[in-house]
Amino acid sequence: MHANLRAIEYHLPETQVFTANITAEFPDWSVEKIDSKTGISCRHIAASDECASDLAVAAAEKLFASGAAQPMDIDYVLLCTQSPDHFLPTTACLIQDRLKIPTTAGALDFNLGCSGYIYGLGLAAGLISTEQASSILLLTAETYSKFMNPRDRSVRTIFGDAAAASLIQRGDAASIGPFLYGTDGSGGRNLTVPAGGLRMPRTERSAIATEDKQGNVRSLNELFMDGPEVFNFTLSAVPQSVNGILEKSGLALEEIDLFVFHQANKYMLDHLRKRLGIPVEKFYLAFRHCGNTVSSTIPIALKHAMEEGRLFPGARVMLVGFGVGYSWGATILRWNAESPITAL
Amino acid sequence: MKRIEFLKSLDEMLELEIGTLVGPEKLDDYPLWDSTAIITFMALADSNNAAKLNPRSIAECKSVDDLLKLAGIS
Repeated sequence: MHANLRAIEYHLPETQVFTANITAEFPDWSVEKIDSKTGISCRHIAASDECASDLAVAAAEKLFASGAAQPMDIDYVLLCTQSPDHFLPTTACLIQDRLKIPTTAGALDFNLGCSGYIYGLGLAAGLISTEQASSILLLTAETYSKFMNPRDRSVRTIFGDAAAASLIQRGDAASIGPFLYGTDGSGGRNLTVPAGGLRMPRTERSAIATEDKQGNVRSLNELFMDGPEVFNFTLSAVPQSVNGILEKSGLALEEIDLFVFHQANKYMLDHLRKRLGIPVEKFYLAFRHCGNTVSSTIPIALKHAMEEGRLFPGARVMLVGFGVGYSWGATILRWNAESPITAL
Repeated sequence: MKRIEFLKSLDEMLELEIGTLVGPEKLDDYPLWDSTAIITFMALADSNNAAKLNPRSIAECKSVDDLLKLAGIS
């Protein structure tokens, strides 16, 4: 049995933060400067009482409303999040109940960031090919905004909250794979929320905010990103992933119809595209309206690519995710007759 | 990439008039020399097949000449 990606929907929270709002707080940074580096004009931010599960449920309800499937069809829920509602129970279990998915369904959370969608597709493909499941709801949901200090422009200009829901079902023709994965935990400290888990519980001390050399303010309870180190990682990991997945699939770069990378930011993606020799018309970008939404960037971009008619039966799409961990992954989607394009 | 072209790129990166930087300038004197500029410098070196640069080594550079030396630009 093979796995097919049947439908994608996504949800953005209501509150929007435009680049102009941020530059008003940081007058030494212009809209033009932020735009030239990030390519992001707006980020959506979850309300104080809005959690990853709320965003994921909204995305899933949109998917069910599209007619692609109904809750009773789902026999497995996979939720990728690093901002779960609780330490326990598993957020995917709470989502199963809220969506009225049958109690015979499996459900689990997995903790990954920007590589999460690739891993989610890989898990779904494995569950289907081993006949453990036949209709999987893959959810990606993050509320990184809750981890960000308002005075840390290094992350505020980039990250937005979002959730995406993807339907992966059993089919006769292979349309997802092969897969390539990679991990280097030595980079964990470069993109992290240090306190709040059991290794470093939140205390009065961990809540003390300090200012770094760049003027960004954050505490150990908040998101820290070492931009140059993360960029350095992508310069190695992404070309390796692209070349590795081409080799595994027996394809040449020219045979890929569309490249959908994790939508990190414009500067990084432009550089990687040029470095890899990918034609601009085959390199899909869709993050100006929502920013870097972590594990949801790839499904959001795929949804937009579908709506713009950039995917067609037989199209080969390379997906590459990379980031926090460090963790990375790549796969090839083959759009086929079983992909109900109208539902997407 | 030639030294003069690298210097021109650094001028643009730091929003200076072309020809401003010649080498001995102290990086701390330029407020725009920040993490964003370091990323831009890494991309510039990567695009030109210069030495693979470690961000920590870049952060340790005190002057424009140090940056050029690190990137293998003579």
